Amino acid sequence: MVKEEDKLQMLRDILLVDDRQVANAVNQRLDVITQTIEERAKLSEKVDPIIQEKLDEFVAEIPVTLGPTITKTLKKEIANSQDAVVEALYPIMGKMIKRYVQNEIKVLSETINKKVNNTFSLISLKRKMRARFTGVKESDLILAEANPPAINEVFLIQKGSGILLGNHSTTETVDKDMISGMLTAIKSFVEDAFTGGNQNLENIEYELYTIHIQNFYNFYIAVVVSGNYTRSFESQLENKLFKLSKKLSPSVSHLSREETDSFLEKFFKK
Amino acid sequence: MKISKKIVLLGQFGVGKSSLLRRFLENVFETDYKPTLGVQIKKKMLDLPSGDKLSMIIWDLEGFMAIAKARASYLLGSEGFIYVFDVTRPITYENLEQELDFIALKYNNVALQVIGNKCDLENHDIAKNHLEKKGIMVHSYVSAKTGEGVQEVFTDLAKKLSK
Repeated sequence: MVKEEDKLQMLRDILLVDDRQVANAVNQRLDVITQTIEERAKLSEKVDPIIQEKLDEFVAEIPVTLGPTITKTLKKEIANSQDAVVEALYPIMGKMIKRYVQNEIKVLSETINKKVNNTFSLISLKRKMRARFTGVKESDLILAEANPPAINEVFLIQKGSGILLGNHSTTETVDKDMISGMLTAIKSFVEDAFTGGNQNLENIEYELYTIHIQNFYNFYIAVVVSGNYTRSFESQLENKLFKLSKKLSPSVSHLSREETDSFLEKFFKK
Repeated sequence: MKISKKIVLLGQFGVGKSSLLRRFLENVFETDYKPTLGVQIKKKMLDLPSGDKLSMIIWDLEGFMAIAKARASYLLGSEGFIYVFDVTRPITYENLEQELDFIALKYNNVALQVIGNKCDLENHDIAKNHLEKKGIMVHSYVSAKTGEGVQEVFTDLAKKLSK
Protein backbone atom coordinates (compact mmCIF):
# COMPACT_ATOMS: atom_id res chain seq x y z
CA MET A 1 0.00 0.00 0.00
CA VAL A 2 1.23 3.40 -0.83
CA LYS A 3 1.52 5.59 2.13
CA GLU A 4 -0.56 8.72 2.41
CA GLU A 5 2.58 10.79 2.44
CA ASP A 6 3.88 9.23 -0.79
CA LYS A 7 0.53 9.68 -2.46
CA LEU A 8 0.59 13.30 -1.61
CA GLN A 9 4.13 13.59 -3.00
CA MET A 10 3.14 11.84 -6.23
CA LEU A 11 0.17 14.12 -6.60
CA ARG A 12 2.40 17.16 -5.93
CA ASP A 13 4.91 15.92 -8.56
CA ILE A 14 2.14 15.44 -11.15
CA LEU A 15 0.59 18.85 -10.48
CA LEU A 16 3.68 21.04 -9.93
CA VAL A 17 6.51 19.52 -11.99
CA ASP A 18 6.03 21.84 -15.04
CA ASP A 19 5.65 24.94 -12.90
CA ARG A 20 8.84 24.13 -11.07
CA GLN A 21 10.74 23.79 -14.33
CA VAL A 22 9.34 27.12 -15.50
CA ALA A 23 10.11 28.71 -12.15
CA ASN A 24 13.65 27.38 -12.33
CA ALA A 25 14.11 28.72 -15.85
CA VAL A 26 12.71 32.11 -14.81
CA ASN A 27 14.98 32.19 -11.78
CA GLN A 28 18.00 31.40 -13.91
CA ARG A 29 17.04 34.14 -16.38
CA LEU A 30 16.46 36.58 -13.54
CA ASP A 31 19.91 35.74 -12.18
CA VAL A 32 21.47 36.53 -15.57
CA ILE A 33 19.55 39.84 -15.83
CA THR A 34 20.43 40.80 -12.25
CA GLN A 35 24.06 40.04 -12.93
CA THR A 36 23.97 42.10 -16.15
CA ILE A 37 22.38 45.09 -14.43
CA GLU A 38 24.61 44.93 -11.39
CA GLU A 39 27.83 44.49 -13.31
CA ARG A 40 28.69 47.78 -15.04
CA ALA A 41 30.80 46.21 -17.74
CA LYS A 42 28.09 43.80 -18.80
CA LEU A 43 25.39 46.52 -18.67
CA SER A 44 27.60 48.81 -20.65
CA GLU A 45 28.10 46.15 -23.30
CA LYS A 46 24.33 45.99 -23.82
CA VAL A 47 23.33 49.64 -23.42
CA ASP A 48 26.23 51.50 -25.04
CA PRO A 49 25.36 50.68 -28.67
CA ILE A 50 21.78 51.92 -28.09
CA ILE A 51 22.92 55.15 -26.42
CA GLN A 52 25.51 55.70 -29.13
CA GLU A 53 22.89 55.23 -31.83
CA LYS A 54 20.50 57.67 -30.12
CA LEU A 55 23.31 60.13 -29.57
CA ASP A 56 24.26 60.03 -33.24
CA GLU A 57 20.64 60.65 -34.20
CA PHE A 58 20.45 63.56 -31.74
CA VAL A 59 23.66 65.15 -33.02
CA ALA A 60 22.47 64.78 -36.60
CA GLU A 61 19.18 66.46 -35.75
CA ILE A 62 20.60 69.40 -33.73
CA PRO A 63 20.94 71.81 -36.67
CA VAL A 64 17.33 71.15 -37.69
CA THR A 65 15.61 70.98 -34.33
CA LEU A 66 17.68 73.19 -32.04
CA GLY A 67 19.55 75.34 -34.60
CA PRO A 68 16.93 78.09 -35.01
CA THR A 69 16.31 78.25 -31.24
CA ILE A 70 20.05 78.51 -30.48
CA THR A 71 20.57 81.17 -33.16
CA LYS A 72 17.57 83.15 -31.90
CA THR A 73 18.75 82.93 -28.28
CA LEU A 74 22.30 83.93 -29.23
CA LYS A 75 21.09 86.90 -31.27
CA LYS A 76 18.87 88.00 -28.39
CA GLU A 77 21.67 87.63 -25.85
CA ILE A 78 24.14 89.56 -28.04
CA ALA A 79 21.57 92.30 -28.65
CA ASN A 80 20.81 92.57 -24.93
CA SER A 81 24.40 92.70 -23.82
CA GLN A 82 26.27 94.36 -26.66
CA ASP A 83 28.74 96.08 -24.35
CA ALA A 84 29.67 92.78 -22.71
CA VAL A 85 30.11 91.10 -26.10
CA VAL A 86 32.29 93.95 -27.35
CA GLU A 87 34.27 93.84 -24.12
CA ALA A 88 34.88 90.11 -24.57
CA LEU A 89 35.69 90.32 -28.28
CA TYR A 90 37.80 93.48 -28.13
CA PRO A 91 41.12 91.85 -27.17
CA ILE A 92 40.68 89.09 -29.76
CA MET A 93 39.61 91.51 -32.50
CA GLY A 94 42.39 93.90 -31.53
CA LYS A 95 45.02 91.18 -31.97
CA MET A 96 43.51 90.12 -35.30
CA ILE A 97 43.39 93.69 -36.61
CA LYS A 98 46.95 94.32 -35.41
CA ARG A 99 48.17 91.21 -37.21
CA TYR A 100 46.26 92.16 -40.33
CA VAL A 101 47.66 95.71 -40.34
CA GLN A 102 51.21 94.41 -39.71
CA ASN A 103 50.83 92.01 -42.60
CA GLU A 104 49.45 94.67 -44.92
CA ILE A 105 52.29 97.07 -44.02
CA LYS A 106 54.79 94.29 -44.68
CA VAL A 107 53.26 93.65 -48.11
CA LEU A 108 53.21 97.39 -48.86
CA SER A 109 56.79 97.79 -47.72
CA GLU A 110 57.91 94.88 -49.93
CA THR A 111 56.08 96.34 -52.93
CA ILE A 112 57.61 99.78 -52.40
CA ASN A 113 61.09 98.33 -51.89
CA LYS A 114 60.74 96.40 -55.11
CA LYS A 115 59.73 99.53 -56.95
CA VAL A 116 62.49 101.66 -55.41
CA ASN A 117 65.15 99.00 -56.05
CA ASN A 118 64.06 98.94 -59.64
CA THR A 119 65.31 102.50 -60.03
CA PHE A 120 66.61 102.23 -63.53
CA SER A 121 63.78 100.26 -65.04
CA LEU A 122 61.70 101.82 -67.81
CA ILE A 123 58.63 102.02 -65.52
CA SER A 124 60.63 103.78 -62.83
CA LEU A 125 62.02 106.31 -65.30
CA LYS A 126 58.50 106.92 -66.62
CA ARG A 127 57.31 107.50 -63.05
CA LYS A 128 60.09 109.95 -62.39
CA MET A 129 59.19 111.86 -65.54
CA ARG A 130 55.51 111.84 -64.57
CA ALA A 131 56.38 113.15 -61.12
CA ARG A 132 58.46 115.94 -62.61
CA PHE A 133 55.82 117.03 -65.12
CA THR A 134 52.69 116.66 -62.97
CA GLY A 135 54.23 118.03 -59.78
CA VAL A 136 53.06 114.97 -57.83
CA LYS A 137 55.69 113.47 -55.51
CA GLU A 138 57.23 110.20 -56.70
CA SER A 139 56.47 108.65 -53.30
CA ASP A 140 52.76 109.46 -53.85
CA LEU A 141 52.87 107.82 -57.25
CA ILE A 142 54.52 104.70 -55.77
CA LEU A 143 51.88 104.55 -53.02
CA ALA A 144 49.11 104.95 -55.58
CA GLU A 145 50.57 102.09 -57.61
CA ALA A 146 50.72 99.89 -54.50
CA ASN A 147 47.10 100.51 -53.52
CA PRO A 148 45.39 101.95 -56.57
CA PRO A 149 42.32 104.14 -56.03
CA ALA A 150 38.98 102.83 -57.23
CA ILE A 151 35.58 104.44 -57.67
CA ASN A 152 32.99 102.67 -55.52
CA GLU A 153 29.99 104.96 -55.76
CA VAL A 154 28.86 108.00 -57.69
CA PHE A 155 26.00 110.20 -56.53
CA LEU A 156 24.56 112.93 -58.73
CA ILE A 157 22.71 115.18 -56.30
CA GLN A 158 20.50 118.21 -56.86
CA LYS A 159 21.96 121.24 -55.11
CA GLY A 160 19.94 122.60 -52.21
CA SER A 161 17.22 119.94 -52.06
CA GLY A 162 19.64 117.02 -51.82
CA ILE A 163 17.38 114.96 -54.10
CA LEU A 164 19.31 112.12 -55.73
CA LEU A 165 19.20 112.57 -59.51
CA GLY A 166 21.25 109.50 -60.35
CA ASN A 167 23.58 106.93 -58.89
CA HIS A 168 26.17 104.44 -60.01
CA SER A 169 27.38 101.91 -57.50
CA THR A 170 29.67 98.90 -57.46
CA THR A 171 28.63 97.90 -53.95
CA GLU A 172 25.36 97.60 -52.07
CA THR A 173 24.87 100.36 -49.51
CA VAL A 174 22.03 101.62 -47.38
CA ASP A 175 19.29 103.77 -48.89
CA LYS A 176 20.92 106.02 -51.48
CA ASP A 177 18.23 108.74 -51.25
CA MET A 178 19.00 109.07 -47.53
CA ILE A 179 22.75 109.17 -48.20
CA SER A 180 22.35 112.01 -50.68
CA GLY A 181 20.06 113.85 -48.23
CA MET A 182 22.53 113.48 -45.36
CA LEU A 183 25.51 114.42 -47.56
CA THR A 184 23.66 117.58 -48.56
CA ALA A 185 22.81 118.36 -44.93
CA ILE A 186 26.47 117.90 -43.89
CA LYS A 187 27.65 119.97 -46.84
CA SER A 188 25.13 122.75 -46.05
CA PHE A 189 26.08 122.71 -42.39
CA VAL A 190 29.83 122.95 -43.05
CA GLU A 191 29.39 125.62 -45.69
CA ASP A 192 27.15 127.67 -43.34
CA ALA A 193 29.16 127.08 -40.19
CA PHE A 194 32.56 128.26 -41.40
CA THR A 195 31.90 131.65 -42.86
CA GLY A 196 34.89 132.02 -45.13
CA GLY A 197 33.03 133.51 -48.04
CA ASN A 198 31.28 131.50 -50.71
CA GLN A 199 33.18 128.22 -50.28
CA ASN A 200 32.24 124.62 -50.89
CA LEU A 201 32.96 121.38 -49.09
CA GLU A 202 35.14 119.35 -51.47
CA ASN A 203 36.29 116.35 -49.53
CA ILE A 204 35.18 114.02 -46.74
CA GLU A 205 37.52 111.31 -45.46
CA TYR A 206 36.49 108.33 -43.38
CA GLU A 207 39.01 105.59 -42.62
CA LEU A 208 39.66 103.74 -45.89
CA TYR A 209 37.40 105.88 -48.08
CA THR A 210 37.38 109.41 -49.43
CA ILE A 211 34.31 111.21 -50.71
CA HIS A 212 35.30 113.56 -53.50
CA ILE A 213 32.73 116.33 -53.96
CA GLN A 214 32.63 118.42 -57.11
CA ASN A 215 30.16 121.28 -57.43
CA PHE A 216 28.38 122.37 -60.57
CA TYR A 217 25.63 124.92 -61.11
CA ASN A 218 22.46 122.89 -60.48
CA PHE A 219 23.92 119.76 -59.00
CA TYR A 220 26.97 118.37 -57.33
CA ILE A 221 28.66 115.00 -57.74
CA ALA A 222 29.91 112.95 -54.80
CA VAL A 223 32.28 110.10 -55.62
CA VAL A 224 33.24 107.52 -53.01
CA VAL A 225 36.82 106.41 -53.62
CA SER A 226 38.64 103.53 -51.94
CA GLY A 227 42.41 102.98 -52.00
CA ASN A 228 45.07 105.63 -52.22
CA TYR A 229 43.46 108.94 -53.09
CA THR A 230 46.40 110.83 -54.55
CA ARG A 231 46.59 114.29 -56.09
CA SER A 232 47.09 112.80 -59.55
CA PHE A 233 43.97 110.63 -59.17
CA GLU A 234 42.04 113.65 -57.87
CA SER A 235 43.07 115.58 -60.94
CA GLN A 236 42.05 112.73 -63.28
CA LEU A 237 38.73 112.39 -61.48
CA GLU A 238 38.06 116.13 -61.70
CA ASN A 239 38.62 116.03 -65.45
CA LYS A 240 36.35 113.02 -65.79
CA LEU A 241 33.58 114.75 -63.82
CA PHE A 242 33.93 117.92 -65.92
CA LYS A 243 33.39 115.75 -69.00
CA LEU A 244 30.40 114.10 -67.34
CA SER A 245 28.90 117.45 -66.43
CA LYS A 246 29.35 118.73 -69.98
CA LYS A 247 27.48 115.72 -71.38
CA LEU A 248 24.81 115.60 -68.70
CA SER A 249 24.02 119.24 -67.86
CA PRO A 250 21.79 120.03 -70.86
CA SER A 251 19.56 117.01 -70.25
CA VAL A 252 19.72 116.37 -66.51
CA SER A 253 16.54 118.31 -65.68
CA HIS A 254 14.33 116.18 -67.94
CA LEU A 255 15.99 112.79 -67.56
CA SER A 256 14.25 110.29 -65.29
CA ARG A 257 16.16 108.76 -62.38
CA GLU A 258 16.48 105.45 -64.22
CA GLU A 259 17.83 107.16 -67.35
CA THR A 260 20.41 109.08 -65.34
CA ASP A 261 21.47 105.88 -63.52
CA SER A 262 21.97 104.13 -66.83
CA PHE A 263 23.92 107.11 -68.23
CA LEU A 264 26.24 107.09 -65.20
CA GLU A 265 26.75 103.35 -65.42
CA LYS A 266 27.82 103.57 -69.07
CA PHE A 267 30.02 106.58 -68.40
CA PHE A 268 31.92 104.99 -65.52
CA LYS A 269 32.25 101.58 -67.18
CA LYS A 270 34.33 103.10 -69.97
CA MET B 1 8.45 106.18 -62.77
CA LYS B 2 9.90 107.35 -59.47
CA ILE B 3 9.48 110.97 -58.42
CA SER B 4 11.37 112.39 -55.42
CA LYS B 5 10.14 115.36 -53.38
CA LYS B 6 11.76 117.10 -50.44
CA ILE B 7 9.42 117.83 -47.55
CA VAL B 8 10.46 119.74 -44.43
CA LEU B 9 8.89 119.54 -40.99
CA LEU B 10 8.89 122.95 -39.30
CA GLY B 11 7.84 124.19 -35.87
CA GLN B 12 9.05 125.18 -32.43
CA PHE B 13 10.85 122.93 -29.92
CA GLY B 14 8.81 120.09 -28.47
CA VAL B 15 5.75 120.40 -30.69
CA GLY B 16 6.15 116.76 -31.75
CA LYS B 17 7.59 116.94 -35.27
CA SER B 18 9.78 113.85 -34.84
CA SER B 19 6.95 111.99 -33.09
CA LEU B 20 4.62 112.72 -36.00
CA LEU B 21 7.26 111.42 -38.39
CA ARG B 22 7.83 108.24 -36.38
CA ARG B 23 4.10 107.65 -36.16
CA PHE B 24 3.83 108.08 -39.94
CA LEU B 25 6.85 105.91 -40.80
CA GLU B 26 6.84 103.23 -38.12
CA ASN B 27 3.44 103.64 -36.45
CA VAL B 28 5.07 103.99 -33.02
CA PHE B 29 5.08 106.63 -30.28
CA GLU B 30 7.60 107.16 -27.49
CA THR B 31 6.80 109.16 -24.40
CA ASP B 32 10.34 110.30 -23.61
CA TYR B 33 11.36 113.53 -25.32
CA LYS B 34 14.61 113.45 -27.27
CA PRO B 35 15.19 116.77 -29.01
CA THR B 36 16.39 116.65 -32.61
CA LEU B 37 19.83 118.15 -33.09
CA GLY B 38 20.44 119.61 -36.51
CA VAL B 39 18.40 117.53 -38.86
CA GLN B 40 17.35 113.95 -39.43
CA ILE B 41 16.34 112.71 -42.84
CA LYS B 42 13.84 109.95 -43.49
CA LYS B 43 12.19 108.51 -46.55
CA LYS B 44 8.79 107.08 -47.39
CA MET B 45 7.68 105.62 -50.71
CA LEU B 46 4.07 106.11 -51.69
CA ASP B 47 2.20 104.65 -54.66
CA LEU B 48 0.43 107.33 -56.66
CA PRO B 49 -2.90 106.73 -58.45
CA SER B 50 -1.07 107.34 -61.75
CA GLY B 51 1.04 104.24 -61.09
CA ASP B 52 4.15 106.34 -60.40
CA LYS B 53 6.03 106.10 -57.13
CA LEU B 54 6.53 109.15 -54.94
CA SER B 55 9.61 109.11 -52.79
CA MET B 56 9.05 111.56 -49.92
CA ILE B 57 12.42 112.67 -48.56
CA ILE B 58 11.41 114.16 -45.23
CA TRP B 59 13.77 116.55 -43.42
CA ASP B 60 12.91 116.78 -39.75
CA LEU B 61 14.58 119.97 -38.52
CA GLU B 62 15.45 120.84 -34.95
CA GLY B 63 12.95 123.19 -33.31
CA PHE B 64 13.32 126.93 -33.61
CA MET B 65 11.62 129.97 -32.06
CA ALA B 66 11.04 131.57 -35.46
CA ILE B 67 11.43 130.16 -38.95
CA ALA B 68 13.68 133.10 -39.88
CA LYS B 69 16.22 131.59 -37.48
CA ALA B 70 16.13 128.12 -39.05
CA ARG B 71 19.12 127.15 -41.17
CA ALA B 72 18.10 128.49 -44.60
CA SER B 73 20.23 125.98 -46.50
CA TYR B 74 18.15 123.14 -45.01
CA LEU B 75 15.03 124.67 -46.57
CA LEU B 76 16.46 125.03 -50.08
CA GLY B 77 14.79 123.00 -52.81
CA SER B 78 11.80 122.04 -50.63
CA GLU B 79 8.53 121.24 -52.32
CA GLY B 80 6.43 120.85 -49.22
CA PHE B 81 6.39 122.25 -45.68
CA ILE B 82 4.50 120.81 -42.73
CA TYR B 83 4.34 123.47 -40.03
CA VAL B 84 3.53 121.90 -36.67
CA PHE B 85 2.30 123.63 -33.51
CA ASP B 86 1.29 122.29 -30.11
CA VAL B 87 -2.39 122.90 -29.24
CA THR B 88 -1.54 122.84 -25.52
CA ARG B 89 1.11 125.60 -25.72
CA PRO B 90 -0.12 128.95 -27.09
CA ILE B 91 3.47 130.13 -27.47
CA THR B 92 3.86 127.70 -30.36
CA TYR B 93 0.98 129.21 -32.41
CA GLU B 94 0.60 132.81 -31.18
CA ASN B 95 3.06 134.08 -33.79
CA LEU B 96 1.88 131.76 -36.54
CA GLU B 97 0.63 134.67 -38.65
CA GLN B 98 4.13 136.18 -38.90
CA GLU B 99 5.63 132.75 -39.54
CA LEU B 100 3.26 132.08 -42.42
CA ASP B 101 3.89 135.56 -43.84
CA PHE B 102 7.60 134.80 -43.82
CA ILE B 103 7.02 131.50 -45.62
CA ALA B 104 4.74 133.17 -48.19
CA LEU B 105 7.40 135.80 -48.83
CA LYS B 106 10.44 133.54 -49.07
CA TYR B 107 8.99 130.22 -50.20
CA ASN B 108 5.79 131.03 -52.03
CA ASN B 109 6.12 128.04 -54.40
CA VAL B 110 6.26 125.53 -51.59
CA ALA B 111 3.08 123.62 -50.66
CA LEU B 112 2.25 124.21 -46.99
CA GLN B 113 0.17 122.39 -44.41
CA VAL B 114 -0.34 123.75 -40.89
CA ILE B 115 -0.94 121.06 -38.27
CA GLY B 116 -2.01 121.24 -34.63
CA ASN B 117 -0.50 118.33 -32.69
CA LYS B 118 -1.29 116.77 -29.26
CA CYS B 119 -5.05 117.07 -29.69
CA ASP B 120 -5.38 114.01 -27.42
CA LEU B 121 -4.17 116.06 -24.43
CA GLU B 122 -6.50 119.02 -24.43
CA ASN B 123 -9.57 120.31 -26.14
CA HIS B 124 -8.11 122.14 -29.11
CA ASP B 125 -10.96 124.70 -29.30
CA ILE B 126 -8.81 127.47 -27.75
CA ALA B 127 -6.16 127.11 -30.44
CA LYS B 128 -8.79 126.66 -33.13
CA ASN B 129 -10.73 129.80 -32.13
CA HIS B 130 -7.54 131.83 -31.85
CA LEU B 131 -6.36 130.83 -35.34
CA GLU B 132 -9.79 131.15 -36.94
CA LYS B 133 -10.05 134.72 -35.67
CA LYS B 134 -6.77 135.43 -37.42
CA GLY B 135 -7.97 133.76 -40.60
CA ILE B 136 -5.31 131.05 -40.47
CA MET B 137 -6.24 127.82 -42.25
CA VAL B 138 -5.21 124.75 -40.27
CA HIS B 139 -5.08 121.52 -42.29
CA SER B 140 -5.96 119.31 -39.31
CA TYR B 141 -5.65 118.71 -35.58
CA VAL B 142 -3.82 115.46 -35.01
CA SER B 143 -2.23 113.31 -32.32
CA ALA B 144 1.13 111.60 -32.76
CA LYS B 145 0.31 109.70 -29.56
CA THR B 146 -2.92 108.09 -30.73
CA GLY B 147 -2.11 108.31 -34.44
CA GLU B 148 -5.30 110.28 -35.14
CA GLY B 149 -5.06 112.11 -38.48
CA VAL B 150 -1.30 111.56 -38.90
CA GLN B 151 -1.34 109.46 -42.10
CA GLU B 152 -3.65 111.97 -43.77
CA VAL B 153 -1.25 114.85 -43.12
CA PHE B 154 1.42 113.21 -45.26
CA THR B 155 -0.80 111.52 -47.84
CA ASP B 156 -2.74 114.76 -48.49
CA LEU B 157 0.54 116.59 -49.02
CA ALA B 158 1.71 113.81 -51.35
CA LYS B 159 -1.49 114.21 -53.40
CA LYS B 160 -0.92 117.97 -53.57
CA LEU B 161 2.68 117.48 -54.71
CA SER B 162 1.86 114.89 -57.35
CA LYS B 163 -0.65 117.17 -59.16
